[in-house]
Amino acid sequence: MTNQTDKRHHLNSVLMRESLIDKKVMASTEVETPVIRMLPESHVIKIGSSSIIDKGKDLTYPVVEVLGELLEKEKLILGVGGGLRSKHVFSIGCDLGLPTGALAQISVTDALGNAHMLGALLSPYGVVAIPPEIFGHLLPLFIRSAPGVIFNGVPPYSLWEHPPGIGRIPPHRTDAGCLILAECFGCKTVTLVKDVDGLYDSDPKINSNAEFIPEITVSEIKERKFETLPFDEVLPDILKTSRLVQSFQIINGTKPELIKAAIKGEHVGTIVRADN
Amino acid sequence: MSNELLTELGASLISGNLTDKSLLKQTAEQPVFKVLPNANVIKIGGQSIIDRGRAAVLPILDEIVENLPHHKMIIGTGAGTRARHAYSVGVDLGMPTGVLSVLGTFVSMQNARMIHFMMAKHGIPFIEPIQFPQLPLYLAERQAVIFFGMPPYVFWQRNPEIGRLPAHRTDSGSYLISEMFGTRSMIYIKDEDGLYTADPKKDKNATFISKITVNELKSLDLPDSVVEPPVLEFMKNAEVRREIQIINGLVPGNITKALNGEQVGTIIRAD
Repeated sequence: MTNQTDKRHHLNSVLMRESLIDKKVMASTEVETPVIRMLPESHVIKIGSSSIIDKGKDLTYPVVEVLGELLEKEKLILGVGGGLRSKHVFSIGCDLGLPTGALAQISVTDALGNAHMLGALLSPYGVVAIPPEIFGHLLPLFIRSAPGVIFNGVPPYSLWEHPPGIGRIPPHRTDAGCLILAECFGCKTVTLVKDVDGLYDSDPKINSNAEFIPEITVSEIKERKFETLPFDEVLPDILKTSRLVQSFQIINGTKPELIKAAIKGEHVGTIVRADN
Repeated sequence: MSNELLTELGASLISGNLTDKSLLKQTAEQPVFKVLPNANVIKIGGQSIIDRGRAAVLPILDEIVENLPHHKMIIGTGAGTRARHAYSVGVDLGMPTGVLSVLGTFVSMQNARMIHFMMAKHGIPFIEPIQFPQLPLYLAERQAVIFFGMPPYVFWQRNPEIGRLPAHRTDSGSYLISEMFGTRSMIYIKDEDGLYTADPKKDKNATFISKITVNELKSLDLPDSVVEPPVLEFMKNAEVRREIQIINGLVPGNITKALNGEQVGTIIRAD
């Protein structure tokens, strides 16, 4: 195919000369070949930081014990957040007027610190925190050679974090980093370990009459416009376009045995599902 | 006893939930600090400019060099035809969007390195994401740096709404740098005069649009666009970068005029 007026040097491909913004061209990339699953046997577990690790050994040790038992049989990818220290650094950064991308970049190390603490606690099981620079590319190797890995759940959006619309807090935090990672690698389950049983119709820490919601879809979450959510607000949008991960579960880490049940696929918290 | 080490916002954030909208609003009470308000972000198109080779690239680089005494430039690069090839093969092999994003990053990095070699004698460095803390020094010393336009999301690139290709590519990555650093402009160098009602390369009846707002552009619901759709979404939420210009880099003088704040292409504004 030659085009005398086109002075661009093309490489022959089905997308050659095409605009990658054109909606029809984009739709053409939806082919019959299913998206591969790179790590179909691995489970992604996000251990809450404000909710578990920051509370100290009373809550953290029992969780570590359960994770240790699980690691004997299951492959775990453990993500952690930045917790209270990230909230603190956000408050100083906001006071200085720093933009969202700066806050995103600065907060990474809080999660990394927590990853290293969890890594120290899980060292006897052969599980350590992996530096974020190499984590993604080497993940399949680590998962094959160790029972599990720990990473700071923060996705590498950093200076490239999206402007959030309301306020300046980076929207892609550690819950998002764990869910996107699980989708990319085609993992088996995604579990968010917090200090509440799951989603309520209002914050159970403020309203003692809050009603528990055991199961909900993405579109129901959008319709009901909850005042707060026990997970990053972008999660429903991420789940909406997911292909491999169709749900995630929020469970209460103050009852650590629930982690084992969740990994088996049992319904022990709130399950958020993609619409079908 | 109140905790004097915490600001009021600090106390609210630590006891609050980061999905609470009233709390989030408080985080933007201070005016946003512009990190590099005198710099411009320029994106050189991949398929539109760099894939044309010397005929298109050399005059553009000459014009950038001519502007070095007057303007600070953070120069991002597009990917282009090799990304299209990699995406085609990748989609056929069933690659997830995150892996395709890695492939796109490599191609835009190749283009950044090529532009870097061409600009090296002027002392202009290519910086990877991890080197961005050095950006202010390089700008102060040499007036320009080159970076690859892809946002470094790699495996964490979210799935697009349509199809499988990463939606956040080099237009998005360059835009986010201009918003993050509070720069004075975001200029996209492409091979068309700006935005048209259809792809002017394919439709002879396409008409030129010189000025448009984000909402107007959305309501036109064009099948194709001159800039990646996520850029328009970002603009809606942006605090600083409320306007972008798309110019034809094949027309000599356009880059200089755009850097001087003149309109030579299409200007898209947030409402």
